[in-house]
Amino acid sequence: MTCPRLEYRAENDEHEFDHLRPYCTVTDEFVSPMKADICNDRFDFDHEDHCEVFQAAVEAAAADDD
Amino acid sequence: MSYQDYLDDKKVILTVATTGGIHGKNVNPNLPEQPDEIAEHVAACEDLGAAICHVHGRNEHGENDASRLQAVNDAIRERCDDIIIQNTTGGQSTLEARIEGIRTDPAPDMASLDMGPFNRGDHIITEHNRHNIRTLAREMKERGIKPELEVFNNGHLNEVYRLIETGLLEEPYYINLIFGSGTFTMPSPENVLNLVRNLPENSEFNLLATGPHQLPLTTLSAILGGHIRVGMEDNLYYRRGQPAESNAQLVERTAKIVDLLECDLATPDDAREILGMD
Repeated sequence: MTCPRLEYRAENDEHEFDHLRPYCTVTDEFVSPMKADICNDRFDFDHEDHCEVFQAAVEAAAADDD
Repeated sequence: MSYQDYLDDKKVILTVATTGGIHGKNVNPNLPEQPDEIAEHVAACEDLGAAICHVHGRNEHGENDASRLQAVNDAIRERCDDIIIQNTTGGQSTLEARIEGIRTDPAPDMASLDMGPFNRGDHIITEHNRHNIRTLAREMKERGIKPELEVFNNGHLNEVYRLIETGLLEEPYYINLIFGSGTFTMPSPENVLNLVRNLPENSEFNLLATGPHQLPLTTLSAILGGHIRVGMEDNLYYRRGQPAESNAQLVERTAKIVDLLECDLATPDDAREILGMD
């Protein structure tokens, strides 16, 4: 399952492209090609296990709930 | 493969690595990602003296996609005269995807072959185990593809010797010494000298170094009788704080340096002869 925090965008405050690129809504940054494989759970990657950004976001959300 | 080679006017093979699999246009918008863009950059670099292009495939979002290497190869052949095409088999995809990247029609002249794994981020280790390396080397041998053996650190040079013993490689062995951060060999002139001293007999070496190390260490390579790889895969900047405008900008600077060193760049045909390619 693709990371729920992944979006495909053509622009942000700093950049504008003529195509959609992988974008992390946690860091508010475009994602590198290698990292995008984790976001998309390609190959043997799983964003829940392999993305430190996603893990930190989940932990932060849990802390907010406490 | 020595300073004497430099003194004897040995020709320098210049490789341009246009794109890579690490960075995207969000880091430097001049990085070529799509087949036509890549081919345009390669053609400009060929005009400036590059004999080999090392290429990766990207999908329409700029993500790594080995299946796009066919389109990249086709676009280069359409726009360029005779440059040697070297497809990547690197990265973090499956073995099957990496093999797909060299099953283009026609086959690429060359392909990179990582001699072991390396780390990316906190969780990524590329799957270059010995089985996968032998499988790729066998595929290259069967298809007449010259492997460029990528030595990311000095332990990988042990793996080169091991692979030579399998009989899957033909002389001269073309070894790419890589310097940079993380799992790569630490970038210093001393480490370059050490690795060059430990190369197998009957080998030619190429050198790539990332970021600010590209310019000085590739220059050192020419003086040691080696070859040079530059390009935006390895270095997104022309100088500190100044993003590269193109791959041609980096190639042009290196071509000037080689000329100032009173060396000649190898043409693609020269490179084929030096590397024992049919």
